[in-house]
Amino acid sequence: MFEYGFMQNAVLAILIITPLFGMLGTVIVNRKMAFFSDALGHSALTGIAIGIVLGIGDANAAMIVFAVLFALFLNYISNKSNASTDTIISVFSSCSVAVGLAILSWGGSFSKYSSILVGDILSITRKEIFYLFLLFAATMLFYAVCFNWLNAVGIHRTLAASRHIPVGLMENLFSVFVALVVTLSIKWVGILIINALLILPAAASRNLSENMREYHFFSVLFSLFSGMTGLFTSYYTNVATGPMIVIFASILYFSTYLYHWKGQKSAKWEKNLYK
Amino acid sequence: MKNKYCFTAVLLLVIALSAGVFTGICRNMQKDNPEKIFLAVTSFYPVYIAAANIIGDCPDIKLQNLSEPQTGCLHDFQLTPEDMKLLSTADVFLVNGGGMESFLPDVAAEYPDLPVVETAGEQILSDGNAHAWMSIKCERQIVQTIVESLCSLLPGYAEELRANAAAYDAKLAELEEEQKELAELSRGKKLISFHEAYEYLARDYGLQVCYMLNLDEERQVGAGEVADVLSAARENSVDMIFAEELYGKNLSDTIKKEMDIEVYYLDTLVRGEYDLDAYISGMRDNINLLKKAFGV
Repeated sequence: MFEYGFMQNAVLAILIITPLFGMLGTVIVNRKMAFFSDALGHSALTGIAIGIVLGIGDANAAMIVFAVLFALFLNYISNKSNASTDTIISVFSSCSVAVGLAILSWGGSFSKYSSILVGDILSITRKEIFYLFLLFAATMLFYAVCFNWLNAVGIHRTLAASRHIPVGLMENLFSVFVALVVTLSIKWVGILIINALLILPAAASRNLSENMREYHFFSVLFSLFSGMTGLFTSYYTNVATGPMIVIFASILYFSTYLYHWKGQKSAKWEKNLYK
Repeated sequence: MKNKYCFTAVLLLVIALSAGVFTGICRNMQKDNPEKIFLAVTSFYPVYIAAANIIGDCPDIKLQNLSEPQTGCLHDFQLTPEDMKLLSTADVFLVNGGGMESFLPDVAAEYPDLPVVETAGEQILSDGNAHAWMSIKCERQIVQTIVESLCSLLPGYAEELRANAAAYDAKLAELEEEQKELAELSRGKKLISFHEAYEYLARDYGLQVCYMLNLDEERQVGAGEVADVLSAARENSVDMIFAEELYGKNLSDTIKKEMDIEVYYLDTLVRGEYDLDAYISGMRDNINLLKKAFGV
């Protein structure tokens, strides 16, 4: 399978992007931002549509610019508004999907873009891998410098602000990173399931881990494992790669859930025994 | 705490092994039913339509087209990985030829054993303009080239393929007859063309091309060129302009504003519906437009 250039590209892309998914996913799960990242994925449709209207040849550029603006604006509005965050995200998400679909389906040509819903691993290019690598390096730097602050904001915003941590900046920077990762990988993962890749490894890891280090370790491990297993299985069985990766990540989640549940049950039982 | 790591290691191992077994089963199933179907791949739309008419309902021949470029012409089209994978399973690659497919050297380097048929071959104009399918006469030759190459590769199906080709050729002949009748009335008329594909039409209809500007998505027209077009139109007292709607509309509108010359948007047939009669109906629409242009 490695005689094909596109498979080499796919393996490289998965090696770079899945650890990123794992790392960002931990913060997303902790801060209950699953719906937010889902909305970002959906905004990709609008990004492409706007790119076409403005005549921008490179769909990636239009998608990225739109997703970053979308994320920042969403943060701004949800901080200012009194309505609950999930309502605001839902409003933004539905609006952007509606605009995207309306433009793309104009003249009955939506079928041209339907591949973006499920994703296509063959479409990844060396240039995109280079971008992914830059993003990987930038995220590493961001985590190395700001993770403690980011974590503090996640635990308690007001407390973090009282310790002079730039809460708004941290939230915005994190949203921009999520927006970049989502838009750069949406073409081969697909809009419908990209969120699962962000959430599932971190959620599975939460079932097992007891501290931040373990939480990140398991999340990255699960993400990388489901990515590689999904890719190889999809190659030999002719199934789309994105869904296959998500299936493996789901199996991991349910197995760790059972482990966690059993562990809790036996702890309770032991507690009752010594009463 | 150790339990957790053991559990994870065992879990990952079990999943990896099950995935391996599952994949193995799938691969064996695929091997049990090897595809005996002959796969013909075409490089782009007009070749695909011609080949589809020749292959018809033949159950053992599968025809597929490369992924179509969403914008622009085939000249700067790059093969996608999916195309490379498709070509790796192909038994024959039917192309237009004449430099239309700039990616042919890459294909030849990657798959040296894949037979490549240049369907337009000798039909191409001496200046290297390879849009041969725009001439019905050339299209009939293209159909012959495709059917002969397929028959030599699949002698068992020769009869069926030749019968299909003959039926399609009859339709093309009818269309050519219509074109010839029209050509009697159009001879000597002068035109400005905004796409090199129309040179074939000009040849078939005996028209004189006074100025040719090949417009595509990358071509930026300078003010000087617009002036050149206008002066060519005035000097030669041009009767009409032929343009492609997608890329030629802006310039045609400008010329139309300056001078009272009618613009005709003819279909270059490089993309469209994947319908067997797409070529014939597209060409018929062009003929109807030309009738209007020639005042018939």
